[in-house]
Amino acid sequence: MRYADFTPYDLVLLAQGLGVTVGLFTLTTLVGLLIAALFTLVDYYRVPVLRQVIVTVSEALKNSPVLVQLFLVFFGLPAFFHINMTPFVAASLTISLNTAAFAFVIFRSGIDAVEAEQVAAAKVYGHSRWQILRFVLLPQAAAFSIGPLVGLLVNQLQVTSLISVIGVFDLTKIGNILNLRTLEPFIVWTVVGLLYYALAKLLASVGARIEKRLRRSVVWEGI
Amino acid sequence: MNQLWVTLRPHLPFMLDGFLLTVFACTLAIIGAVLIGALMASLRTSGNRIVRGVAFAYSDVFRNTPFIVQLFFFFYGLPEIGIYIGAFETGVIALSIIGGAFVSDVIRSGILAVDQGVIEAAKVSGLSRWTIFTKIVLPIALRTSVRPMGSVLINMVLTSSILSTITINELTGTAKIVASTTFKPFEVYLVLLVLYASLTYALSLLINTVHRRLNRAMDTGGAA
Amino acid sequence: MIVIENVEKRFGETTVLKRINLTIEPGEVVTILGSSGSGKSTLIRCINGLEALSGGRITVDGNDVSTKAGLATARRRSATVFQLFNLYPHMTALENITLAPINVLKKPRAEAEARARELLKLVGLADLATAYPQRLSGGQRQRVGICRALAMDPRYLLLDEVTSALDPEMTGEVLDILAELARGGTTMLFVTHEVEFARRISSRIVFLEQGELIVDMPTERFFAEDGGFAVPRIRQFLTKMKKD
Repeated sequence: MRYADFTPYDLVLLAQGLGVTVGLFTLTTLVGLLIAALFTLVDYYRVPVLRQVIVTVSEALKNSPVLVQLFLVFFGLPAFFHINMTPFVAASLTISLNTAAFAFVIFRSGIDAVEAEQVAAAKVYGHSRWQILRFVLLPQAAAFSIGPLVGLLVNQLQVTSLISVIGVFDLTKIGNILNLRTLEPFIVWTVVGLLYYALAKLLASVGARIEKRLRRSVVWEGI
Repeated sequence: MNQLWVTLRPHLPFMLDGFLLTVFACTLAIIGAVLIGALMASLRTSGNRIVRGVAFAYSDVFRNTPFIVQLFFFFYGLPEIGIYIGAFETGVIALSIIGGAFVSDVIRSGILAVDQGVIEAAKVSGLSRWTIFTKIVLPIALRTSVRPMGSVLINMVLTSSILSTITINELTGTAKIVASTTFKPFEVYLVLLVLYASLTYALSLLINTVHRRLNRAMDTGGAA
Repeated sequence: MIVIENVEKRFGETTVLKRINLTIEPGEVVTILGSSGSGKSTLIRCINGLEALSGGRITVDGNDVSTKAGLATARRRSATVFQLFNLYPHMTALENITLAPINVLKKPRAEAEARARELLKLVGLADLATAYPQRLSGGQRQRVGICRALAMDPRYLLLDEVTSALDPEMTGEVLDILAELARGGTTMLFVTHEVEFARRISSRIVFLEQGELIVDMPTERFFAEDGGFAVPRIRQFLTKMKKD
């Protein structure tokens, strides 16, 4: 056996990489959706200044490459503000904010998709803005948003692969290591690609199930 | 601000080269993606199940795996099978392939969205399948697809930054070098971010104009 | 001559047309009446080949529509006007009308356009030749639809509930044109809910009920007390239509 050959230990490496990818994806999704929800609230209550800032930041995040955002956070922030930044923290911060920017837009259009007549009706009955959001807008917006949200998350899962570039040992980074050692690019990248593919399909099918349930409870056919 | 200008100024011609390379790579890849996408979308309407299956698998696989993995697959893999092409060529090919996967989906849903009644009217008037496709289905699908197609193209521009990971000195690649030589990574990457955002913003304005031009007269909704 | 022999049409388990026999001679205006879901529109869609037959045979001037060549000829001899107009949304009224004459009949563009303008003038839309369907009212769209059909110089005009999607006043403007065509001797197969209009222009009336052709009579007989009115189902239908 040559030093360069595959070893059973490589499977452990791959599993670790997979774990980092899944872990970071889960973390950034939760944090990102939370931030997006806060953004949506600020937008809904039309908080002056803050609202414009949020819109500008999310536009910038949506319209620039994630790789550049990663570089800005990982190399830029520590140099400018003289702070410490580990690859993992930089990656989590960047992907969370990136997810938030896209999810914010999805939430907002979900709310916009509810007919104005319903809001007008709720106002006439004397409901507060919060009550309207809680009882009229949110349940329906959730049903409208879930489809695009699942699409976004499948995409964000692919995006996490970029954190390998700033040195996080995720699935892609492990692929890099194995690739350079074994010089078997086809095998290595096919396996890595298949793992991502399987994760994406898993995510999509879970999402489809949730979507079905949400739609059933919120969208009444024929009304 | 002034100090930043003084620091960055000597590097601007270098970054301009990078910018031009990004524009060049994206232009080539977009052409490639549209050609591949149109081909794959038409294969997906084929009568042959295997052909349909292959075309579907293509878009499914490339949409559901990270671009960087695909890029490494080609970059490290092609020489293994005796294909020696430069990093730039590899990058453009990989970008065309993933773009094609998305474009094929956009064209396909554009075609599926064409009102069936309109196609029936064309059929009963005796028009050939080819005429129906080229004069009715495709023009209508193109008009409704401008916006989704636009976001695919914008995404390709953003994705092209990943080409810097295989030694291509496009915009991000040159910025990386400037950031490390000037020791001003924050400023350089911030400028870079703004540059990309302006580029995609300009592109989105262009797309909106095209959309308005093409759809000015047309009702995409079909009947009354 | 359109000959429909023992035609059957099934969608999965449901039978939509049962052993239909019907002949339309040149010069006739035949109206098909019946409640919704009786199979009227399906019959038209079988004649122009949009639906494949489950059984039986349809020929248009001897051309069997279930064969490729037969259907091509049949489609050249007939023209269809649709309930929802089905105009090409990306083409002007004029382009809608000239597309098939240029591409199917191989007419020179100038000739096709001249004829299209003539037809548009006939239906009172001379100045809307360059308008896109989006800009036209429902009645105007359907008049363009009729011009599109007439531009093919069809021997048979197939009209599938052409006024069902229109407001009453727009219905009038479309029906006037059809009456004019009927007087001019155009052969028509007319699926409609407009009973009074059918009475005015048709030479024969056919009544479909749950996929079966239960009556095929000259118009006068159909509306006579001892004719169509003698059939309980038709009396019921006609009385209900009058009330509406």
